[in-house]
Amino acid sequence: MSETLLFLIPLLPLFCAVAIMLFGMRLPRLFAEVLAVTGVAGAFLLTLLLWPYADGEGTRAVLFTWLNSGSLDISFAVHFDRLAAPMTLMVSGVATLIHLYAVGYMHQDRDYARFFSLLNLFVFAMLVIVLADNLLVLFLGWEGVGLCSYGLIGFWYRKLDNARAGTKAFLVTRVGDVFLGIALMWLFALTGTLSISAINAQAATIPSGVTLVLCLLLLLGACGKSAQLPLMTWLADAMAGPTPVSALIHAATMVTAGVYLLCRLFPLISLSAVGMAAITAVGALTALYAATCAMAQREIKRVLAYSTMSQVGYMFMAVGAGTVTGAMFHLLTHAFFKALLFMGAGCVIHLAGDENDIYKMGGMARRGPGELVWVFLAGAISLAGVPLTSGFFSKDNVLLMVYTHPDPLYKIFWGVGVLAALLTAFYTFRLVYLVFAGDYRGSGTAHALPLLMRWPLWVLALLALVGGSLNLPALVGGHERLQHWLGDLAGRPVTVDHHLEWLLVGLAVVLVVLGWGVAHWRYARFRNAWDNPLSRFLLRGWQADAVVDRVLVRPFQAMALFCWAGIDRALIDATVVGMSTRMLSLSMLLRRLTTGRLSSYLAAFAWGFLLILGWLLLQLVQGGGHA
Amino acid sequence: MIVPLGHVLIVAAILFVMGLACVIARRQLIMILIGIEVMINAAGLVLVAASGYWQQLDGQVFVVFLMALTSAEVAISLAMVVYLRRLRGTVVADEFDRMNG
Repeated sequence: MSETLLFLIPLLPLFCAVAIMLFGMRLPRLFAEVLAVTGVAGAFLLTLLLWPYADGEGTRAVLFTWLNSGSLDISFAVHFDRLAAPMTLMVSGVATLIHLYAVGYMHQDRDYARFFSLLNLFVFAMLVIVLADNLLVLFLGWEGVGLCSYGLIGFWYRKLDNARAGTKAFLVTRVGDVFLGIALMWLFALTGTLSISAINAQAATIPSGVTLVLCLLLLLGACGKSAQLPLMTWLADAMAGPTPVSALIHAATMVTAGVYLLCRLFPLISLSAVGMAAITAVGALTALYAATCAMAQREIKRVLAYSTMSQVGYMFMAVGAGTVTGAMFHLLTHAFFKALLFMGAGCVIHLAGDENDIYKMGGMARRGPGELVWVFLAGAISLAGVPLTSGFFSKDNVLLMVYTHPDPLYKIFWGVGVLAALLTAFYTFRLVYLVFAGDYRGSGTAHALPLLMRWPLWVLALLALVGGSLNLPALVGGHERLQHWLGDLAGRPVTVDHHLEWLLVGLAVVLVVLGWGVAHWRYARFRNAWDNPLSRFLLRGWQADAVVDRVLVRPFQAMALFCWAGIDRALIDATVVGMSTRMLSLSMLLRRLTTGRLSSYLAAFAWGFLLILGWLLLQLVQGGGHA
Repeated sequence: MIVPLGHVLIVAAILFVMGLACVIARRQLIMILIGIEVMINAAGLVLVAASGYWQQLDGQVFVVFLMALTSAEVAISLAMVVYLRRLRGTVVADEFDRMNG
């Protein structure tokens, strides 16, 4: 066994993607499905098998030199270290479960080859991001996941809205990618290398002002992928894609790529205190913004989409507070419970006859397998942060680290985060009550749930409940395993006395109970949705789309209109066409000279003769004058 | 030479202008052709006179050619006039204006 085997982790899904792309429609359906699952499951098993390579400084393996020009030397290399290993395991593991689920979910769709090849290609690109040794290879994967996300959001492209949502996601994330590209080039200009470890090693030599700007550029790049303010508008619309796609790409993996990027370059960004504060601010504001939006949503998947934004906001807060452990811990637990919630939502939508509106659901457990409510509840309490679930430990860890940050400004961020946590508990239980409590209020006919759509949920439910043991705090007798595993990559360690910690835990419990209480009071027995300006404002995501439309789209359209009508048509076209029109009318005038009448030709002939004669006479007179 | 060259030239000029006036003023194809004949003969008169003045035969030879050319021209153009008269029922030149722009 050699370290070159590490390349098999991303290349296996790529191979399967290409195979399905080329032969998927010619092979029996079962074969394509098995191939798709094998690709990611193989990557998962390989990660487990190669786990020892991550120990210590990690293992670096070079496949081939990609670019070599002057000082630019970029090889296609992977770096399997203590940060990449858990992420790889999570991506391939969750992807395996979601692929299994997708086989059940898509069993009636005829475009299965396109679906599974894109899904496998996505896993490949995501693993490239995770394992990349230098930033250009990371950027390759970064764009790759964007492309696959675009293709999968608009998977049912015959509906115009879906195609539009895909285009929107592609364009908005591209805005962030531009900033990331600028950061990459700047880093290369400063350090002469794109290797992540080399950049981190040289980070201290970069002037502090430049570090701040680089930090902000990287933050903007991460914001685009991770749907943080101000580039968050695409994620809610991205729910137009099939549910397994939402679970895999828009909850568990791709949207956390921004967090992972910041964790990778943590030694660089941690040098700028202002930059770190900006990251925390963006995270806190997004957490609050998205939580308020989630309270008013009617579509089950949009509730979850906004909650994803909100939870990724917590991860940003963790990075900003200086703890990579906190970010990665929340990233991993979030991947478990959010993938679970999305897959549960897919089951619920199936049972409701493709109905998305939670106000037309209710009593869903009695319409399908009874265990559905329990697995969904496992995800929900984890999201809400009910004590002893994974979400409780990870979110608590984030808030603790923000609270204990020496900068007093972070107390404000902590307050915002606490408020968002309260809202999270509220909207989560609202969702649970509206979907599972009371009687069925809709009129859809339930589809049968294939077995493959049911048992992957159990695995994730288990992970969501016990995932907290990954990094159980010392407070409750844990060993903080993730913190120790990450070692010197982990960032700031927790150094607080247990009284404060217990106080914060108590606060978290109060928040959850409060959120649950309000949700119980309002939604335990069904009443119709509030319909007031505030709820409409929240339903439309604080009118973010309208604001973007006013601030960016309309001025751009006006400018384009001016360039087209004002410059192209009125100036350039008018000059050219005007000149040719003048020439045409002039020649129409001249055309009348050709009368076709013999007499006028003869008259012209005579006049011409007279003219020549007169000229000759003039010459004669002048010649005579000289003589 | 009995007649001075200047007189002959004056007669020829008068003939030429009369032919030209005929060509321009008249509308009948036949009259236009007659005007052209008159102009050609005015030119022939000048050639003969010049031949006598300079005692060179070239001018007279040229006039013989001119006569042959004139007869050929008249033969063709009169044939065309007859044809046009048959075709359109008129010999007024301005009626044939289908080649206008």
